[in-house]
Amino acid sequence: MSSDHIHPEPTTFLRKHVFSIDHKVIAKQFLWFGLIWLGIGGIMAMMLRWQLANPGVPVPLIGGLLFPRTGGVIDPATYNTLFTMHGTIMIFLGLTPAMIGALGNWCIPLMIGARDMIFPTLNMLSFWAMFLGGAVGFYSLFVPLGATEVGWTGYPTLSTTVGAVGQGETLWAIAVFLIGASSIMGGINYITTVIRLRCPGMTWMRMPLTVWGLFLTSILNVLFIPVIGSAMIILVLDRVFGTSFYVPASIMSGGTGGDPILYQHLFWIFGHPEVYILILPAWGVVCDLLSFFARKPAFGYRTSVGAMVVVTVLSALVYGHHMFTTGLSAMLGESFMLLTMIISVPAEILFFNWLHTLWKGSLRLTTPMLFAMGVIFVFGLGGLTGIYCATIGTDIFLHDTYFIVGHFHLTMAASALFGTFGAIYFWFPKMFGRMMSERLGKLHFWLSFFPLVLVFCIMFISGYAGMPRRYYDHTSAEYLRPLQHLNVATTVSAFLLGVAQFIFVFNFIKSRWWGKTAPQNPWDVGTVDWTIATPVPHYNFKTIPVVRCGPHEFSNPVLGPDTDWIYQTEELPG
Amino acid sequence: MSMLSTFTPSFALLRSRWLGCPLALMLTSTWALAQDKRWGPGEPASDYGYRFGELFWLITTLVSVAFALVVVLLIVPMLRDRARPGHRASFDHGKSLHDKRLTAVISIITFIVLDAWVLVIAMKDLREAYWAIPAAKDPQTYKVEVLAQQWAWSFRAAGVDGEFGTPDDILTTNELVVPKDRPVSFNLTSKDVIHSLFLPEMRMKKDLNPGAINLAWFKPVVEGEFSILCAELCGFAHYQMFGKLRVLEQGQFNEWEAEASQLASTAFDADDTEGHWAWDWQE
Amino acid sequence: MNTTGVIELHGDGPVNQAPPETGRDRVNATLGMILFIGSWTMAFGTLFLSFLVLRDKIAVWPPAGIALPSAPIAGLATLVLAASSVFVERGSRSLSLDAGSGRKASFSALWITGMLLGLGFALLQAWLWYDLILAGRTQTSGLYESLFFGLTWVHAAHVVVGLFLLVWALVGSKLGRYGPERRSFVSNAALFWHFVGIVWLFLFLGFFVF
Repeated sequence: MSSDHIHPEPTTFLRKHVFSIDHKVIAKQFLWFGLIWLGIGGIMAMMLRWQLANPGVPVPLIGGLLFPRTGGVIDPATYNTLFTMHGTIMIFLGLTPAMIGALGNWCIPLMIGARDMIFPTLNMLSFWAMFLGGAVGFYSLFVPLGATEVGWTGYPTLSTTVGAVGQGETLWAIAVFLIGASSIMGGINYITTVIRLRCPGMTWMRMPLTVWGLFLTSILNVLFIPVIGSAMIILVLDRVFGTSFYVPASIMSGGTGGDPILYQHLFWIFGHPEVYILILPAWGVVCDLLSFFARKPAFGYRTSVGAMVVVTVLSALVYGHHMFTTGLSAMLGESFMLLTMIISVPAEILFFNWLHTLWKGSLRLTTPMLFAMGVIFVFGLGGLTGIYCATIGTDIFLHDTYFIVGHFHLTMAASALFGTFGAIYFWFPKMFGRMMSERLGKLHFWLSFFPLVLVFCIMFISGYAGMPRRYYDHTSAEYLRPLQHLNVATTVSAFLLGVAQFIFVFNFIKSRWWGKTAPQNPWDVGTVDWTIATPVPHYNFKTIPVVRCGPHEFSNPVLGPDTDWIYQTEELPG
Repeated sequence: MSMLSTFTPSFALLRSRWLGCPLALMLTSTWALAQDKRWGPGEPASDYGYRFGELFWLITTLVSVAFALVVVLLIVPMLRDRARPGHRASFDHGKSLHDKRLTAVISIITFIVLDAWVLVIAMKDLREAYWAIPAAKDPQTYKVEVLAQQWAWSFRAAGVDGEFGTPDDILTTNELVVPKDRPVSFNLTSKDVIHSLFLPEMRMKKDLNPGAINLAWFKPVVEGEFSILCAELCGFAHYQMFGKLRVLEQGQFNEWEAEASQLASTAFDADDTEGHWAWDWQE
Repeated sequence: MNTTGVIELHGDGPVNQAPPETGRDRVNATLGMILFIGSWTMAFGTLFLSFLVLRDKIAVWPPAGIALPSAPIAGLATLVLAASSVFVERGSRSLSLDAGSGRKASFSALWITGMLLGLGFALLQAWLWYDLILAGRTQTSGLYESLFFGLTWVHAAHVVVGLFLLVWALVGSKLGRYGPERRSFVSNAALFWHFVGIVWLFLFLGFFVF
C-alpha cells in the first residue's frame, strides 16, 4: 500500500460515489451527511423553543405531522426526547462529520501534499460506521416505548432501566458507540497521515494551522472516544443484561450494587475532551482564515501551536467542573476549579494571537473572513462566561440553568459552527469547482450573527434569574412564571436564526450546481491545496510537491510591491 | 392588534396566516404570561446568599471590560485596516522577543485579573460558607433528611425528640418548614434517579444521588415562602417537581413543630414500612 | 518516499497482485496499529478504572461469603493464553527471516499452534462462566458478578475478533496474499493478539490475585 501508488481511477458507480476510497469523495459524503443532520437538529431546536415560548400550543406547520397523537402539541416526554436528540445529533451527527469528517478528509491530504489518506479503505469504513450510527439513532426515534429522553448526557439511573424502559436508550447508546468507532477510525487515519505523508519540505512548523487543529483533535479522538465507548458498553450491559455497574444497592433487590456517579466521571472524562475535539479544528481554521484574509502571517504561529497542544494535554484534567454539585470532595472540587482556570490561559493566548493577526493587517472582508471574525466574537463571549462556570461559588447557582446552556452553545455550537461555515465558504470553490454567492454569504453571516448572540445572551439572563434547563414548561413553577418574557424573546431570536440558515442552504445548493465557475485560486492563498487544478484530479498531485516556505508569508517585503503572497512550493526571493 | 402595529415593521406580514399567527402569539404572550417580569434571581434570603451576587457581579465587571476591549480590537481593524488599492498589511510573524514578552505579559495580567482574583474570592466563599457544613452535634443546627423521587420531595425532620426514626418524626411532602436564623443541614438522597435540590432564593443547590448521601446546608435569614425546584433531569415531570420552602420565626416554628410532631405521633402506623424511611444522620 | 515525485503506476489495469511492502509501508501500518492499540488501551483502561472504583466502594472484597470462580482454571487459562502469544509471535517473526519454503511451513505450524492454544483459552473461559452459572450466579446476581461477567464478556468479544484475525492471516498466507514480502497484516494481528493477552493478565490479577 505504498503512498506513491496512484490507485487506478474507479469505474463503477458504487466505487465512485458510494464506497469510494478517495478522501475527496468521502469528505463530500461527510459534508452532506453532517449538513443534513445539522438541519434536523436545528429543526428540533426550533420545536423546543416553540414549546417554551408557547407552552402547550400545537407546533405550527409540522406539528400535526410529527405529533399526531397529541394534535401537534409536544408532550413532556417528547420534549425530553427532542432536547436529548438535539444535543446528540448536533454533536455526533452534525458537527463531527461536517467539521472533523469533511474538513479533515478534504484538507489534510491536500494541505500536506499527499495523494490520499494513508489508509483509504479505513477512511471509507469510517464514513459508513458513522452512517450506520446515524441510521440506528434515526431508527430509535420510532421504537414502541419511545426514543431516549434522558438528555444527551444520559446520566444513570435515569438512563438505566430504573428511569428509562424500552429500546430507545439502548439504541442510542449503540448509535453513540458506532459514531465513536467512526471517529476513532478517522483519528487513526488523520494522525498517521499527518505524521507519515507530509511532502518534502513540509515540516511540522510549516503546516497550516488547520491541519494542526485537526491533528490534535484526532489525538483526543483516539484517546477519549474509547472512554465513552466503554461507558456505553457498561450502560448497555446494565440495561440489557441486568448488571449493576451504575445501579446502586438501595435499588437492587438483594446483592451489592454499583455507583451512578461512576458514569458521570467516565462521561465527563470523555465529555470535556469532546468539547475540545469539536473546537480545535475550528480554532485551526480561524487561525488560517484570519491570516489569509488579513494578508498577514498568523501571529505567533509557534505560540498558537503550543497553546493548542497545551489545551489538548490538559483537556481531560478539568472534567470535574461538570460535577460541582454532584457531591465531590472539597479538595477535588477546588482542584478542578483551579485546573479549569489554568486551561483558560493557553486559550487566551490563542485568542490574543487572533486579534494580533488582524491588527494592522489589510482586511479582505469576504464571507469566510466574516465567519472567522465572528468566531472571535462568540468564542470571546462564550469563553469569558466560562469563568462563571469554573468558579464553584457562582456555579452552584448557575449549574443546570440556562446560563450553562448559553455558555456551551456560544463556545461549542456558535464557535464551531461559524468555523465550519467559514471553512465551507472557503473551500467550496476547490471542492465543487464553483463559487458560492458572496452576497448571500454575507447576508447569511449578518442575519445569523445578531440573532445568535441574542439567543444565547438572553439565556445568560435567564440562567442568572434561576431558570433551570431541561424544563418542559417554565410557567408551572411560580418562581419561574415571571421569566416567561425571556423565553419568548429567546424563541423569537432563535426563529430568526433558524430562518437565516435557509439562506445558506439555498446558496449551497444553488452554487453547487449553478454557481459561477471558480478560478484555480480565488482567494490568493499559498497553501499547497490551491496549487492544483479545479476540479481536483483523483490523484491530487501529479508530482508530489516540495515545500519551500511557510503557509502565511503574506505581505512579506521580499515579495516586492506587486504581490503580497506566494505559494508554499515557491522559494522566498532574496 | 393596535398595540402591535406601533412596533412591527410589516403589519401585513403579521396578518398572514402562516407567519402572522405564530409571531403574534409569541409577541402577545410576553405580556400575558409575564406580569411582574423578573430579570434576576430576586433578593437572597440566606446568610451566605449575598456571596453569589457579589461574585457574579465582580466577574461581570471584569468580563465586561475584557470583552469591550476585544470588541474594540475587532472593530478598529475592520474600519481602519480594510484592504484597499495600494494598502499593504504590516508583515509580522509575531516571533520576535518583544512579541513573545508582550504575549506573556498579557496572559499573566489576564490570568491574575480574570482568574486568580476570582479564584481567591471563590476559595474564601467555599471555605467560609458552602463547604462549612454546620456540626450535627450543635443544637442550633436544624437537621432535615431529604428523599427525592420521581416526582416529589419528601422531607423528614427529627421532631420534638430530636431523634430520627422515631414516631414523632415530621414527614412532609413538597413542603419544607424551617426556623429562621438557624442553620439547616441536609442529608440528601434519592429513591430512584438523580435529582437536585435547588433553593434559588437561598442560593443553594445539591444533587441527590440514589445509593449515597450528600450533605448541604443553608441558613435562612428572611421569613416567608420560597421556592424549591429540581435541577437535575429526572424524567418527564422534572419541570413539575417543585415545592414550597416556609421559613418561620423561631416562636412560630416551635409551635408548628410541636403540633406537627404531635400529629405524627398519633398518626404513626407501625405497618407502613415504606413511609418509615430514615437513616442514621451522616456527617 | 519517492523523492523525485514521479507517478508510479503498478501493474497494468486493476491491481490483483499487490506489490511487495516497503519498509516504509510497514512503519505506516505499525504506527496505525499502535494508535489503534492506544485506543483500545483507553477503552479497557476505562473498564479497569470502573472496576477499581466500584471495588473500592465495598469495604470487603471479594464480598463476604461469596464463592469465587475457580482460580486454578483461571490460572491455567492465563498460562495457555500466554503460550498462545508466544507461538503466534514466533510465527509472525518467522516471516521476517529470509523467505524459503522451509520457513513458510514453520510459520503455519507455529501460527496454528498459537491459534489452537487460543481456542483452548476460550474453552477454559467458557468453563469458568459455566461453573458460575451452574451455581445459580449470573451477571444479575450482584456487583461482583456484574464486574466479572461484564469485563470477561468484553474481553471475550476481543478474543473472538483476535481469533478471527489469526484465521484471516493464516488463510491469507495460504493464498499467497501474506508472506515474507507482505507481512504487516500478520504482525499486526499478532500485536492485537498480544494485547488481548495482556488485558487478560490484568483481569486475572484483578479478580484472582489482588
